[in-house]
Amino acid sequence: MALLEKLHRRVVDMGLVPRVIALLPVISTLCALFGFISIAILPMDGQYRRTYISENALMPSQAYSYFRETEWNILRGYRSQIEKTVNMTSTERNNIMGSWLQEFGTKTAIYENDQYGETLYGVMHAPRGDGTEAMVLAIPWFNSEKEFNVGGASLGISLARFFSRWPVWSKNIIVVFSENPHAALRSWVEAYHTSLDLTGGSIEAAVVLDYSSAEDFFEYVEVSYDGLNGELPNLDLVNVAISIIEHEGMKVSLHGLPYDQLGNNDFFSRFKILCLGIRDWALSGVKNPHGNEAFSGWRIQSVTLKAHGHGGHDITTFGRIPEAMFRSINNLLEKFHQSFFFYLLLAPRQFVSISSYLPSAVALSVAFAVSSLNAFINNDYASISLFSKYNLIAVLVWFISMVVSFVISQLFLSVLPAGLLMTISLAVCFLPIALSGKVHISEPLSYRLKNVAFLYFSLVSTSLLMINFAMALLIGTLAFPMTFIKTISIKASAESETSLGSNISIKTEPNDEMQLNEHYKEGISEKNQQRQQLKNLSLLILTNPFISITVFGLLFDDEFQGFDIINKLVSAWIDLKCWSWFVLCIGWLPCWLLILASSFESKSVVIKSKEKQS
Amino acid sequence: MVSTEFKVALGCIATRLAVMCLFPSLQQQLDKSVEFSTPVTSFRSLQEGIYLLRNNIQVYNHGVVHHPPILVLFLSLFDSDKLISIIYASLDGLIAYQLTKMTKVFKNLKVQSWLPGLLYAVNPLVLLSCVSRSSIIFTNFAISSSLYCILTEGNVILSSVMISVAGYLSFYPLLLLIPLLGMLKSWRQRMFSVIVSILSLLILLLFSYNMLGGESWSFLTQVYGSIISFQKVFPNLGLWWYFFIEMFDTFIPFFKAVFNIFIAAFITPFTLRYHKQPFYAFILCIGWIVLTKPYPSLGDAGFFFSFLPFFTPLFGYLRYPIISALLFLHAIVLAPIFYHLWVVLGSGNSNFFYAISLVYALALASILVDLNWAMLRIEYDNGVPNFKLKVTQI
Repeated sequence: MALLEKLHRRVVDMGLVPRVIALLPVISTLCALFGFISIAILPMDGQYRRTYISENALMPSQAYSYFRETEWNILRGYRSQIEKTVNMTSTERNNIMGSWLQEFGTKTAIYENDQYGETLYGVMHAPRGDGTEAMVLAIPWFNSEKEFNVGGASLGISLARFFSRWPVWSKNIIVVFSENPHAALRSWVEAYHTSLDLTGGSIEAAVVLDYSSAEDFFEYVEVSYDGLNGELPNLDLVNVAISIIEHEGMKVSLHGLPYDQLGNNDFFSRFKILCLGIRDWALSGVKNPHGNEAFSGWRIQSVTLKAHGHGGHDITTFGRIPEAMFRSINNLLEKFHQSFFFYLLLAPRQFVSISSYLPSAVALSVAFAVSSLNAFINNDYASISLFSKYNLIAVLVWFISMVVSFVISQLFLSVLPAGLLMTISLAVCFLPIALSGKVHISEPLSYRLKNVAFLYFSLVSTSLLMINFAMALLIGTLAFPMTFIKTISIKASAESETSLGSNISIKTEPNDEMQLNEHYKEGISEKNQQRQQLKNLSLLILTNPFISITVFGLLFDDEFQGFDIINKLVSAWIDLKCWSWFVLCIGWLPCWLLILASSFESKSVVIKSKEKQS
Repeated sequence: MVSTEFKVALGCIATRLAVMCLFPSLQQQLDKSVEFSTPVTSFRSLQEGIYLLRNNIQVYNHGVVHHPPILVLFLSLFDSDKLISIIYASLDGLIAYQLTKMTKVFKNLKVQSWLPGLLYAVNPLVLLSCVSRSSIIFTNFAISSSLYCILTEGNVILSSVMISVAGYLSFYPLLLLIPLLGMLKSWRQRMFSVIVSILSLLILLLFSYNMLGGESWSFLTQVYGSIISFQKVFPNLGLWWYFFIEMFDTFIPFFKAVFNIFIAAFITPFTLRYHKQPFYAFILCIGWIVLTKPYPSLGDAGFFFSFLPFFTPLFGYLRYPIISALLFLHAIVLAPIFYHLWVVLGSGNSNFFYAISLVYALALASILVDLNWAMLRIEYDNGVPNFKLKVTQI
């Protein structure tokens, strides 16, 4: 404590406090910059680590894999049958598949969902376990690109047949055939944990297969692992998948990287995977789900394996990946807990853990907190008492904007189209300019509104830090230009008197200089004001949550066209319970509304000494 | 013309009832959250107690109910759920009313008289605590009534009785008798107050002994024993639970004693040091108990904060109000998230929640320390604020 006192005394002696206060906007920007830089240097040598299998029991690829050419004929047989079912109804298809599963003693059931269609699943009871735990092999009939998953389905049934002959299983194996990898699979997982009669214990891990070609050969495997709402599977499971794939001699692609880039491992390739990873993590569920997303939320670790390309490895090699993965998971005595739950992959075998990447988002959150502080103390109204009307009104406006945002989020969930939302957002941005000269707010209120807005945003982003890092980083980055919006103050009628007589100076310029070239300055300030207003307008448009996220989607992701992303955000909530939409609407939008309110022209106010604290 | 305190109280009741009606499932959700409900205050166990009582089963033999017998008996009188909502809401309304009345006593306070009441009415911590039907509200009401009686009416008897009611309800508020004595004027009054409190406490205990199906002292261990000896090691925002999870069994009794002494140790010093500002000492003691008690909830903290507007003259002296406020805000926002990461998602662990409960304690402690400093500074300036003077040590 004594040291702190000494430091404090020294700081006061040197007069650092007012200087630091004057520099607050710069400090805020520096914080944000620090955030970006600290994440940009992660792909540099020495910043990341090599992945390793943390749980010793897993032992991937230690046992010989037996799903080989002998199974190929069986697989082909099934495939030729399945190819005929493309145009059948899902009931017919599921009946055929169900009868095949029953042939080797699998208990099957069909889960019917009025909205999302039927899902067939079969439970193979473990010969050696107590049957309280299960592994899931999920095969959507149609994959995320809506192609018929013929290879995946035939692999699924032949793997199930193959597994049924093995006596080693100590966990139940559940095979799931759902209509699609998103809502249908999700609804099945939800039903599994709530209403289904035929169950096989708690699901430890899930592997989703996606092999949409009817060919025997493929080139490389893509592993998808991002879960909903910022959840990731335990790094051990991803490691197991990757090490098995590489052990079988295939190349691993992450986040849709094409084949010719898979060999690269330099700064830029790692940086690219890092950025793609953050984007996919933030937009997981909003983008076309691969299937593993459906399992997040019940302590289930899941990955999707997708076969790409033509020629190279045969389909049984692809089958050996789930086989070896199941052998590994089968060894587990506890749930996955050893390895990291928070990580970013830079390459299939390289990662950074949370302690390395978290500071960047923390810095962004701090940047907003500093901006909030700046709006609070870096003006002439810092000494207004805590319970003055400006503070109370600001809090009230915040509350109102929360309610408005909530109503907007609910309205657009079902009723209104995205185009309307964008039009309204854009139109609202012009309000401060359109109403300039007509509507005024008081200057202290403008500052207090900003204060509340940034404080709220900082809180939102802090609370997202751990639970959904990528989202926190994304909205922090996209919303950061908001801190550059300046309060526009116009001369109040009483100001000329106060600037001469009162000792409370309101303008930033010194008085004498002001008097010298008053006329000239007035012209300048008016021009400045207009420029500032235009700047505010562009910043407001840029940082509107809906416009901003749409632009981001269009620029950095070729999956989205037009206002697509808004609809997908909404449907992600309805189908998958992915709350990105609410992060935008209830986290970001109120802050933006407050900033919008604060950017109206404001009149300066002379603070009565009664209202001041001293 | 309705007086301001009535308006505030009605507003308070209306907001509570509105929230309860608009979000009917909120009560159960909050009752399950560790921030608002603890084993000794949760409404679920209170309901269990009411059920056992109604069916003539021994209430305190099952280790579920830790609520005092009179409270269980009182709430078992009401059948309908709506009536219980109204009771909870009106208790909060009464507290808001008392706060407003108390503000009027302090003539030189520059705050509008309705402000503390209004802040209490809209304070989300108290609001949600009331909606969760945490039984802490009864204790809070007793403490606030005690202050109200002594401040507005100078009624020593009622004030002492209310303190012992608060103590009867959740034990540690009994310590507040000491700062209450500091608020009294003469030694005769003090002796009188002590005797009244002891008598009323005895009456309450004897009454409880006779009640609830047969004479039995078993409620003593279940109600007070469980609080003092921290029987249910349950995650909460306090400082106790993690400590006792980690400890070897042999050391546990010793450290439980230490923790209990820790709570009591600061009460008398606060009272003595601030004998010229007894009301301030009282509030400081409330804050101290909130910080160190074994089963704290956000309802406690919210109640403590509702008294801060009484000290607006001190605000200028606070050295790090922004840091304290940010710490507190972040702690209460992150606590449920980290609990979720630990218990629901399984991607975090207990250290996450423990870390955030430390941040919460740090926030409360920094508020207490800062308030102390501010009061010492204003004493140093002889009550005439002089913000220009830079003092780093007193």
